Amino acid sequence: MRDPSRPLPFATGARAVFELSLDGMVWTRRTLLMGLLVGIPALVAVAYRSVVATQPEARLPPPADLYAVIVAIYWIRNVLPLAALFFATALVADEVEGRTLTYLTTRPLTRPSVFAGKFAAYVATTLTLALPAAVLTFFILLSTRGWSAVGPAVGDLFRDAGVIALTLLAYGALFALLGVLLKRPVIPGLLFLYGWELMANLPGYLPRLTLTAWLRSLVHHRPAEEGLAGLFQQVLPAGPGLAVLIGASAAFLAAAAWIFSTREYVLEQ
Amino acid sequence: MSRSRLAVLVSTVVVVLGVLAGLGALWLNPARAAVGPMPGAALILPADARFVMGVDVKRFTASPFYARYASERGMEPEALRELEEKTGLNPARDVEQIVIAGTAGAGPVGLALVTGKFDLYKLGRTLETEGKVRGYNHAGATLYAFKEEGPRALAVAFLDDTSLLFGQKGRVEAAVTSRTRGETPLKNNAALVSLVEKVRPGSTFWMVGDQSLLAGLPASVPAPGASADGASVNLPALKSLTVTGDLDPQVSLAVTGEAADELAAKNLADVVRGFVALVSLQAQQKPELRQLASAVSVATEQNRVLVSARIPYEMIDALRAKAKPAGPEAAK
Repeated sequence: MRDPSRPLPFATGARAVFELSLDGMVWTRRTLLMGLLVGIPALVAVAYRSVVATQPEARLPPPADLYAVIVAIYWIRNVLPLAALFFATALVADEVEGRTLTYLTTRPLTRPSVFAGKFAAYVATTLTLALPAAVLTFFILLSTRGWSAVGPAVGDLFRDAGVIALTLLAYGALFALLGVLLKRPVIPGLLFLYGWELMANLPGYLPRLTLTAWLRSLVHHRPAEEGLAGLFQQVLPAGPGLAVLIGASAAFLAAAAWIFSTREYVLEQ
Repeated sequence: MSRSRLAVLVSTVVVVLGVLAGLGALWLNPARAAVGPMPGAALILPADARFVMGVDVKRFTASPFYARYASERGMEPEALRELEEKTGLNPARDVEQIVIAGTAGAGPVGLALVTGKFDLYKLGRTLETEGKVRGYNHAGATLYAFKEEGPRALAVAFLDDTSLLFGQKGRVEAAVTSRTRGETPLKNNAALVSLVEKVRPGSTFWMVGDQSLLAGLPASVPAPGASADGASVNLPALKSLTVTGDLDPQVSLAVTGEAADELAAKNLADVVRGFVALVSLQAQQKPELRQLASAVSVATEQNRVLVSARIPYEMIDALRAKAKPAGPEAAK
């Protein structure tokens, strides 16, 4: 029989928090908004196919190029980091703001297991939004000129799905850290995304200090860009890229879990 | 089941179906081949090849490029014209894929494996009736040697209903012998085969070349904007070159050059960027070049330089229209 004075084992506690958090995370207005934002390319792909079917003479970009722009620029550079920002910063901040953190911290659960369960729920929720959108967009666009174009590109789909998951993991870990560290993490998060991350477009070693340069180097799509990005575009090596992203995610998560475990949260009355 | 679980389940089902459909498409992909885009049969090509190139003829003939320019003089590749001239074979109709291995030496330096659907009886009769060839059996395959002697002597081998081999007689015989013995000489050229493996199947055309091919390239080019002073830019040596391209719905070209090290790759990328910048400057005076400058992107990945270009047909037409009137004017 379990000793009630001792907290639940890490895995059991994390699983319980995961199930509780998933129910509260999937059906929210935030998820609906993010789902719409992440899923827009699938709607664009349907519109693209309709235009191709009804106006064959219309001057449209090739479907593979459109898919490349959607993956490399729309999802990996912009929308998925934004989704990570809004979901991951809220993991603890929402509990603090709603003054419900006490209900979790007074249960027989270790704080790292609470954090792990919440982060796992974030990953499951965002993957639930992003992966079907990627799969649908890929098939709708790439089958425009028949299924013969799909086979050779399937490797890219699998790779893109992996990079999408890694994007959500890396940015999610960073923003979860911001969420436990700062009271209002959204503004610093936006500054990081649209300030710091622009270094990815600079020459030299500066892009290696960003997450986006490593992530974009992992996908094979290189849509033509103008300005600095087009001039100094670098593709960083994939092996070290994976190591950096996984290492950074682990470090951010460990730091966030440690801060969450040791910090005293004073809930405003 | 709660609504959240249902949403996750539906999402999972969509992803799993997508993965299954993807694997199915990959499995049924006609471009799936033994080595990258190259059919397994092409492994009988010689080991001393300096480059290997392939053309997906079905994609080529179905492309807007073929529809627009096929009727124009000089647009048909030399190898195809020669093949048609010698054998009566209509490449656009009968051929699916051509793989050419380029070798060094005197006379014709290429050996072409042509895959498709061939009526060997009709083809053989056509060749024999014209009296240009002498048919004989070599290592279990029918060969037709064209009546020329010396290093320029050509031959075509009928390997089976779906593949022909065309090129220098001695090399064709050697390749047929290798096939009969079950040997795959091209696999011995590990450098070239590893480059072919990296080419994505499904490209309309592709080419890979190793160091021996690139040794003949110029070591320097005139500097962008150089005047009569003859200023030039030294080009870092390339270890390998890979070119892939598609023609539908626009001309897309991806060139990957492998330099000796990261610094050399950056230098080479800078040279290419310099030329693109020059085109951008020219675009101020020549509007037809405006799109061309933005159609090319240059990137580096460790010791590799990646150049990709996407050129719409409208731009090619505009450039050609601009180039045509210059001829008679220049002649005057």
